[in-house]
Amino acid sequence: MLVVENLRKEYKNVVAVDNISFKVEEGRIFGILGPNGAGKTTTIRTVLSIIKPNSGKISFNGKPITNEFFNIIGYLPEERGLYRKSKVIDVIRYFAGLKKMPRKKANTEARNWLQKLEIEQYMESRIEELSKGNQQKIQFIISVIHNPKLLILDEPFTGFDPISQTLIKEMILSFVTSGKIIILSTHQMETAERLCSDILLMNKGKEVYQGSLNNLKRNFGSNTVKIEFEGDAGFISSLPVVKNTDRYSNYAEVQLNDNINPSEFLRMIVDKVNIKKFSVLEPTLNKIFIDVIKQTQAK
Amino acid sequence: MKKIFEVARWEYIEKVKTKTFIISLILTPAVLILFSIAPTLLSEQEVSNTKAIGIIDTSGLYIREMKEKLSDYKIKDSQPNYLLINLTAKNRLLEDLKKFSDKEALKGKIEGYILIENAGTDSVAVSYRSKTLGNLRDISRFQSSFNEVRIKLKLDKENVNPYLLDFISQSVEMNQIKIEEGGRETENDFLLTFFSSFIFIMLLMMMILYSGGMLIRSLVEEKSNRLIEIIISSCTPNELLSGKILGLSALGLTQIFIWILIGISLAGTAVVPLEAFQNVLPILVYFVLGFVFYTSLFVGIGSIVTSEQEAQQITTYLSFLLVLPIIFVLPALENPDTLYIKILSYIPFTLPSFMMLRLNISPIPAWEILSTILIMLISIYLMIGFSAKIFRIGILSYGKRPTVKELIQWLKE
Repeated sequence: MLVVENLRKEYKNVVAVDNISFKVEEGRIFGILGPNGAGKTTTIRTVLSIIKPNSGKISFNGKPITNEFFNIIGYLPEERGLYRKSKVIDVIRYFAGLKKMPRKKANTEARNWLQKLEIEQYMESRIEELSKGNQQKIQFIISVIHNPKLLILDEPFTGFDPISQTLIKEMILSFVTSGKIIILSTHQMETAERLCSDILLMNKGKEVYQGSLNNLKRNFGSNTVKIEFEGDAGFISSLPVVKNTDRYSNYAEVQLNDNINPSEFLRMIVDKVNIKKFSVLEPTLNKIFIDVIKQTQAK
Repeated sequence: MKKIFEVARWEYIEKVKTKTFIISLILTPAVLILFSIAPTLLSEQEVSNTKAIGIIDTSGLYIREMKEKLSDYKIKDSQPNYLLINLTAKNRLLEDLKKFSDKEALKGKIEGYILIENAGTDSVAVSYRSKTLGNLRDISRFQSSFNEVRIKLKLDKENVNPYLLDFISQSVEMNQIKIEEGGRETENDFLLTFFSSFIFIMLLMMMILYSGGMLIRSLVEEKSNRLIEIIISSCTPNELLSGKILGLSALGLTQIFIWILIGISLAGTAVVPLEAFQNVLPILVYFVLGFVFYTSLFVGIGSIVTSEQEAQQITTYLSFLLVLPIIFVLPALENPDTLYIKILSYIPFTLPSFMMLRLNISPIPAWEILSTILIMLISIYLMIGFSAKIFRIGILSYGKRPTVKELIQWLKE
């Protein structure tokens, strides 16, 4: 179990991380979400002991983090890039070696992973000859080749095509069953939703929310539905259950009062207008960010 | 320790394979040889055929003797170097002769011609007229031949003993002998000492610049694509720094080793005179120490650089520091015991080049060699500590270059 307690990191004139605490258990994926500059990366770097916190405690399985910890961490930073002029196999072997992996084992594992991600034909190529997506696969391999107990992935899916995304997603889910601790930082709501069991939402270095994603959406959801229709739907905005309407020629986004269930609302209008499509709008992470920022500013 | 070697192996193998390394390996000695030896070789080789040289002397006093003197100079296959052609025609004015001969020279029929005026008087004047300014060696030969003939004519006239004549025309050159402990003495050639010192300093400088540049570029690459974060989450900054210094030093040693092989295979030939290898052992020690010292400095400074342009700027600044000793090569040669030369050979930044220089010029007592080596070792140790402090923070700061104030803050942390 990874335990982070009262983490604080200050820079000259900003508090980048302010009193953040969380726990991640084996076989769980923990999502750290938040707008740009929220302190996600600083939190991650502190956990990785790339930077020292001003105060706070980080422990792994009850022991404080030492240099031995290096060899059981896997890290995929948000900004990608590798030694462009070097050979794929050499780069993988180098990073495996830095994790104290024996050279022979690194060789066989590299081959395995290249096969798993369907790029074994590039083993002897130079990094710069690979497409961007394939370069990212190499970087993913580097972060997992030494079978780390703690895996930290910063935006692991950006830049992948849908097929590769699914491939990577499957890999990550297989780590869950093998009992790894995984920390994932992302902007993509959909990814977070499918993978993370718990999330930490941060803004300006502070914790805004911690818990399950469903709860978060309930907290910050705006109870909005989208209707596509034919005919005159002008009456909708005058309904008492409606808080706000955004009407266009053949569709409308309707924000309902908090106590109204979307299906109740559907019953109210289904006879009066020809409905072609009805959907409940999930708040985007973006929207939640904006709401959160507004809320914290209001406080 | 294992991680240090892992980093060192990576740095070494990846850089040995680069084109930059292979080019610098061959190009550096090639450039040096070209600059130091080629001019002499070229001017010597130029003489492959006999030159036709005209002569005008209306008095006729000099022509026969000059012909004799100049026929002593031979080129290969004992062909004469110069063919002296008498352009003096009787009953013609000097002005006409000049006009005619100028035309001949311009047409390329003769290389040029020697014009002797007011011969037989004390105000005799001689000039060499040609299309292009003549080869320095030719001119000095013409001049000394003419003067010898002039003196001979005068002494003949005064009925001086011909033996005295020979004696006067001979001059004795002064030999320079460098004496050393243990009764060893070597004939010393100023130019040779200059070039052998110069070559070692230049080699050191070029090597530091090449590998320092490579080092900074690779650090910039690692920083700009955040590879550094993966590395730093795998090993400590100190391990990374030590690995880089070790790998690069190994790279430098490889380079020196190959250069020594080239040197040995060329030793004794015209290209590399044997004398250039005097004191080669202590020189190598200073060379290696200097290289490691500067590499440690480059690692520290390289870590605060954030872009390729900045990298270039910084390498340029540092190269000024490295060029400095070259300016002092000549004054040091002329007067190796000057105080400031001694002081500069105790300051770690200039120590290696100045000690290499002094070793070549005059014998240096053992205590001085040992103490400077000790100074260098301590300086390397301190420099690594200094660089490590900057490196730790520098590699993780992106975007803005830190100010001097911030750097001092890092050093205190």
